[in-house]
Order: sequence, then structure tokens, then C-alpha cells
Amino acid sequence: MDYFLTLLVTGLVMGIIYALMALGLTLIFSILNVINFAHGEFYMLGGYAAYLLLEIFTGIHPLLMVPVAGILVAVLGVLFEMVFLRPMHEEQIARPAEYAVLVTFGLSFFLQNLALALFGPYPHAPRSFFEGSLRLGPVIVSADRVTASILSLVLLGLLLLVINKTWLGKALRAVSQDKQAAAVVGINPHIMNTVAFAMGVGLAAVAGALLAPVFSITPDVGAVPAIRSYIIIVLGGMGSIPGSILGGLVIGLVESFGAGYFPDPSRALNYKTVFGLVIFALVLLFRPRGFFGRKEA
Amino acid sequence: MNQITDSLRRPPVLITLAAAVIALILPLFLQTYWLHVIIIAYFYAILASSWALLAGYGGQFSFGHMAFMAIGAYTSGLLTLHLDIPIVGGIILGTLAAGVAGLAIGALTLRFKAAYLALFTIAFSEILRTLIRAEAQITRGDRGLRVEPLFNSLTRIPEYYVMLAVLFASLIFMYWLVQSRVGLFLRAVREDEEAAAARGVDVVRYKILTFVLTSMIAGLAGTIFAHYITIITPNIMVIPQMGLVIAMAIIGGVESLVAAAIGAVIVQIALELLREFGAWRLVIFGALLVLTLRFARDGLLIMIFQRLFRTGPRAELRQSAEEEGIRADQEGEDELTEMEAPLTSTGQES
Repeated sequence: MDYFLTLLVTGLVMGIIYALMALGLTLIFSILNVINFAHGEFYMLGGYAAYLLLEIFTGIHPLLMVPVAGILVAVLGVLFEMVFLRPMHEEQIARPAEYAVLVTFGLSFFLQNLALALFGPYPHAPRSFFEGSLRLGPVIVSADRVTASILSLVLLGLLLLVINKTWLGKALRAVSQDKQAAAVVGINPHIMNTVAFAMGVGLAAVAGALLAPVFSITPDVGAVPAIRSYIIIVLGGMGSIPGSILGGLVIGLVESFGAGYFPDPSRALNYKTVFGLVIFALVLLFRPRGFFGRKEA
Repeated sequence: MNQITDSLRRPPVLITLAAAVIALILPLFLQTYWLHVIIIAYFYAILASSWALLAGYGGQFSFGHMAFMAIGAYTSGLLTLHLDIPIVGGIILGTLAAGVAGLAIGALTLRFKAAYLALFTIAFSEILRTLIRAEAQITRGDRGLRVEPLFNSLTRIPEYYVMLAVLFASLIFMYWLVQSRVGLFLRAVREDEEAAAARGVDVVRYKILTFVLTSMIAGLAGTIFAHYITIITPNIMVIPQMGLVIAMAIIGGVESLVAAAIGAVIVQIALELLREFGAWRLVIFGALLVLTLRFARDGLLIMIFQRLFRTGPRAELRQSAEEEGIRADQEGEDELTEMEAPLTSTGQES
């Protein structure tokens, strides 16, 4: 029973962080109609940014650097969006859907190699947020994971508030529903595209900065979280915000229980990601629009 | 029909012949080390051109091409090792295995919009790599699987001709495919999927067929590579390797099979010549990939080639047409006029 509870808590703790990253992808998809194939690399950049900031400002508490890392990466996102994605929405580019897949994948290739050239293949880890672990009854979780998860929860709440209660959120929702109609009532879709892309990659970077002390950062560290986010958004339904939150929790639990009860413990961790692929295939076979997808894919 | 699509159907005869002759007599002039570089370049050329067929012609963006290559490599490597199958048998079975995997994934994902193929194949590729690493008792994981050598030559000349033959054979096969009914249908599907379907093209079937065939070409390349290099590790299929193949195809010109193949050879040679730059080489090619996509969509090589040889009113016309966002290949008359798409093709939105 204790083991079950531990797995449950670990699954939920990780699931919230997964949801945060997937939500960034969803935000970008629902506004720009682009799947960001460089999402994992923005996660990676968030981790490196947190690491570098803490190397420079040694006296500052690591938690304070998480939002800074997120904002720095979001600025990079703005630049990329304006140079490479905006022309697509200005109809300067033929076959925009194909271009979007390739240019974001190309960015991922570029950033991964850039990180390799700058930092080398060795793992870097910023300082822990808090040493030690927390004991919740029979369950023991490392303090860093709990911190990351609580902050993700706060950020998720803030984000939902922005999307549902503010003018910006209203504008974003309007653009995601109907670009032309939104433009008619005076919402500049280009600005919304940039805002959504920056917010989306900023969320990935925050997830990277939050998990960097736990898993440390290498140039290819983004691959698995990115793939996990792809699975989550398909499971939750492309473009659905509640879908990516629920999907994140489900994938967190599946990974935790799947690995926890896997017959061969030595390979259990490797198989964690395999469950995700199985879920991906099952969704495509039986419910292509996922939990809350707007229409059949 | 514009020049690009022309060159896709009929490769420029002179250049192709010249390249073929150079390729055939090259071993006379090269030392073993450079011969090895060129053999690897041909390996990438097979992958880049078959990926170009899939993406540039079929509009299908697979990030699993290296996974199919690895399926070929590991299938052949394991079967020849454990079951004493001759290498030729391993090559055939490895190629078939890649085809079967391609069929399963194609059937699963190609019913949906293009993005689903990209999403699924990137997940498949990375997770297959994890599996190969995890099942180290069978695959020997990161320590690498020793594979029987193709020949026991010290000169690498026999291997050179085998890889070259596979490259030629796959290019000829792909040109035949592109010119056949399959190619016509593929093009129709890419221009406007709904219109093609309405005209009675079984869209999904042709997409799956192309996907299976290109997966088999990748698998075949993998089997030859495995028996040439004689040790394979899961690292051959990391996502940046896929990125490199895509960079080669895009820099060369994704709408032309020969351009993609030549792009691969040039990039591979450049990587070798720029060795002193270490990890920065791939940063450069990553930047080239993104910039080519944005500013020279038909391919950097194709653009340079056109600037050199075809600067005329026609090229300018084409350029200005493109600046207005109109695909030049939707102008002019060809067999597809009846299925003419709207000005910006919307059939493939993700």
C-alpha cells in the first residue's frame, strides 16, 4: 500500500510538470496552428539558462532564477517567431504547414548542436532548490520535485486565470477560434501569434529550469520531455487546454505505475517512455481526437 | 511545369551522367581513407534522397527514417549473427523488416493529417532507440553489436561499388516510381488532397505505399551500412542524425532526388574537411538548414545552380511569381490541370 501511494504521489508530482510543458505546446498549436518540434530544445535552454544564471549570481536563491530563465528563453522565442514563423502567416511561404514542421525541427537540430558545441555532452546541474526530501506520511519525495511540482501548479493556475479572465486571454481564445473574426474586432493576429509562441516556449523553459536540479541538463535532454508532450497533446486532444492538463497527469501516472510494477526493475526506467508510445498508438486507433479534441483529426 | 518539377521527373542528363562516370572511376584516385568517407556519403545520399521522395514529393514528413534504417541494420546484423543466415539473406530480411514496420506505422498514422506522421515517427524513433539500449542482452546496447563484414577487403573498393550500386539502384527505382501512376497520384494528393480524393484517388493507399517503399530503401541502406561498418550502436538513430539527413536533403533540394543525393555527398565531404571545427560544424549546417528553409525553399544547391546556369527572364519570372506567394508549379499546364489547387495549397494543414 505504501508503495502504491508512493507511486501515486510521484506520478501526480511529475504529471503536473508534464502538463505545464504540454500546455505550452497546446498554446502554440491552438493559436499558430504549428506543432513546435523544437519544444524540447526550449526546455533544454531553460535548464542551461538556470544553470548559467546561478553560476553568475552565486548568492541568489535558485528558485528566483526560474522565472528569469523562462523570460530569457521567451525572448528567444519572440525572435524566432518573428523571423521564421511570421512570414508564414503573412502568406509569404508556400505550403505553410509543411514549412512549419520543417523549420521548427530545423531549429531543434540547430539548438541541440549549439548546446553541444557550447557546453559539451557532459551533464550540468544547477544547485538544488532545497536539500533533502519530504515525508508525507509513508511517502517520501525529494524536496526539489515537490518544489517543482508546486510551482508548476501555481503557474498552471495563473495561466488558466490569464486565459479565462483577462483581455489577453480573451484575445488569444478569439484568435484560436477564428482568426479573421478576431482581426475584424481589432485583435492583431500577428501579435497574438508572437505572444502565444513566447508564452509556450517560456513554459517549456520553466519546466526545464524546474527539473534541471533533479535530472541535470545535457544537449539532448529535451528529446524525451518533448516526445512526452507530443503524446500528451494527442491524448488530451490537439489544442485542448484541459486536455493537456488531464493528459499530463495520466501520462505521469502511467509512467510511475508502469515503471513501478514492471517485472524487471533493471529495465523499468527505460520502459517508462515505451508506455507512452503504446498510448499514442491506442489513441490513434480508437479515439483519434483524444479526450477533448474539437474534431476528428 | 517548372524546372524543379521537370528535374524531378527527368534528372538533368549531362550532370547525372558526369556524376555517374566520376563515381565509377573515383576509386582509382582516392586513398582508402577518403574512399571510406565517400562510402558513408553514399549511405547518407540513399537516405536523403529517399527522404526527399517522401517529403518533397509526397508531402509526408517522417522523422523515423533513421529508425527504419536501424531496423534494417539490426535485423540483418542479428540474423546473420545468431541464425547463420548468409549476409545476402540478412540484407533481404532486414529490408523487409523495415517495410513491415513502415506498413504498420503508415497504416496507423497516414489516415490523419500530416502532423500525426511527424509526431508519431519522432516518438517511435526515440523509443525504439531506448528499447535497443534497454535490451542489451540481445542487441549489446551501447557497447555495440558486432556485425559480419561484407567482404574481407583492405582496400574498401568492393564495398565502395556495393554502396554505389545500391545508391544508383534506389535512385533509378525512385525515378521510375515518380514517373509512374503512383508518382502522378502522389503529386495530386500533395497539391490538393481533397480534390484528389474526389477524383477517385485512394489517397491513403498511395501514401502508405510510398511510405513503405521509402522505409524499405532506408532499411536496405541500413543493412549495407551495418555490414560495412561492422559495429552498430543505437547512436546511429539519434534524432540529430535524422536532423543531419534532413539538412542534407533540404540543402541539396528536397524537390529533386538527385539534388538531395548530391547535397548529402557535399555535406558529408564538407563535414570531413571541416574536422578541426569539431562540434561547430553541425551548428553551421543546422543554421544552413533553417536559413535554406526560410530563404531558398527549393534548396541551396538548386538555387546556386540556377543562379549559375539559368539566369534568364524565365528564372526572374519564376522568382517574382514566388514572391507573390504563388507556387510556380501551379502555373503552366500539365496532367494535373484538372485537379488544380487553390493558390495556396491548403490540403496539408496540420
